[in-house]
Amino acid sequence: MATAEDKMREFLRRQIDPREFDAPAFQKDPFPLYKRLRDDHPVYHDRFHNRWVVSRYWDVDSVFQSSEAYTRGIYEEDGPYEFGSKHVFGPNILEYGVGDRHRWLRNIIAGQFVGQKLNDFLPVIDMIARELIARLGTGSDGKGGFELVTEFSTQFPIRVISNMLGLPREDEDRFVDWYQALIAGLGFGGEHLARGIAARNEMWEYLEPLIEKRRKEPGEDLLSRIIAAELDGKRMSMEEIKGFVALLLAAGGDTTDKAIANMWYHMLYTRPDQFAAVQKDPELWSNVFTEMMRYDPVVHMQQRRATQEIAMHDEVIPKGAIVLIYLGAGNRDERVFKDPDTFDIFRDDLHMGRENRSGRYKDGKPGHLGFGMGQHFCMGYAMARQEAVIACTHLSNALVNPRPKVEDHPGISSPSIDSGGFRSPQELWIEFDRKAEGW
Amino acid sequence: MARTLKLDLDCCVNAGECYYNHPRLFAMEDDGAPRLLLTSIETDDDLREAEEAIEVCPSGAISLE
Ligand code: HEM
Ligand code: SF4
Repeated sequence: MATAEDKMREFLRRQIDPREFDAPAFQKDPFPLYKRLRDDHPVYHDRFHNRWVVSRYWDVDSVFQSSEAYTRGIYEEDGPYEFGSKHVFGPNILEYGVGDRHRWLRNIIAGQFVGQKLNDFLPVIDMIARELIARLGTGSDGKGGFELVTEFSTQFPIRVISNMLGLPREDEDRFVDWYQALIAGLGFGGEHLARGIAARNEMWEYLEPLIEKRRKEPGEDLLSRIIAAELDGKRMSMEEIKGFVALLLAAGGDTTDKAIANMWYHMLYTRPDQFAAVQKDPELWSNVFTEMMRYDPVVHMQQRRATQEIAMHDEVIPKGAIVLIYLGAGNRDERVFKDPDTFDIFRDDLHMGRENRSGRYKDGKPGHLGFGMGQHFCMGYAMARQEAVIACTHLSNALVNPRPKVEDHPGISSPSIDSGGFRSPQELWIEFDRKAEGW
Repeated sequence: MARTLKLDLDCCVNAGECYYNHPRLFAMEDDGAPRLLLTSIETDDDLREAEEAIEVCPSGAISLE
């Protein structure tokens, strides 16, 4: 029989010290803490940071779905915003919660990233991937080696978006430089932050005359559409347009580049056996994308504010409380996925195809949570998948015998998960024997 | 004249665009399928929303007769 002392010990064993969220161990490997949260504290009240945490699959689902009980609107609808003053990107207009204004903003651009509009864009995505692969150097013996993050993945989605926006191609390299400085500023802070803000200011100075020009002579591009969009006779201000562009760079560029790096990391280091299958049948890259978005997605956490009191498990989340949605933990929920800690591109208990906003699929399988769902479901879901799959397919077709350059890799980490930092490898060196015929 | 809003559930892929964008016209069932809250489209506002829903539905499951 358990003595009182055993019970006390068990109770103490289960406690979570909220400072664990700030510890380097958590940024490096959050999964053990995720499991303790799911098992012992499905609704965890973090009194130290003054916030609540949910971590089980169906709880994550329910917070994402319940627009009537939670809002993402951190900035109130009637302002004031101080664009860019506080952070590299600053508050941006898509931070609005539920409502007509959010729907309007979404609908201005949502259509650009799906369906026929996306299909029309595939040749550009294809071309940019090929150009970047052509740039990868090889020695006189044909052998080559490169660092995926700087030479390929952080170059790729930003070029795609800058094309969509209709920015001049000859300025693309400058754009990539600004973007890399911005992203480093977001991720690492300190002197990087100062450089990031300087890059942002330069980029905005560059954009202003371009925005003025498109205002007068609109084209078919995304920037023209954003400028021309109207609601109740009102258009976006210059500051709002620049904020929107910054959002697209962060939401669409930084995430997708890290997705590509995560996919390669898990193929090279976690499942070289499955990588062999993928090289034989490149269509499997689509499965790699899906399983990466479950097992180790780029984005692990999203934040909401409770707009009413919410009873969940044995807790009551008060109105106004900050709620952290650990989708990265929900994705590893053993209540939903078999062997959740195994990376397996052939799993039969995960919806492998394209995601949708409801997170409900006709094959009856649960989907990954990596794009969120509901009101703020990622607008770039179809585009991110296409970009990542095209880039990875071309790369694996182009390189003969691609392999990790070093045996030991420090692994995937995040500068700061609990403030929304993205997870990805900082470096990934790849070697290959030669480029395949035609590349 | 009132028009009728229709849903073809065989065609629908549970994308959810209809009920997230137009909660006055559609609701989500637990399995992700949409349910019509309004079938008889009478006012201009109803019509505008119905037409928008038809536009955002990726599978062509919504129609007006
Ligand atoms: C693998 C790559 C990507 C990942 C992991 C990702 C992840 C996410 C997540 C988790 C959200 C939900 C935020 C929330 O619920 O609060 C989101 C929203 C969003 N994403 Fe993505 N995303 C990716 C690619 C893209 C791309 C390519 C674009 C655009 C071109 C994009 C544009 C957006 C936008 C605009 C939102 C805000 C939607 C709203 O608030 O209504 N994302 N993304
Ligand atoms: S938008 Fe279309 S496909 Fe999506 S749930 Fe509604 S009817 Fe079905």
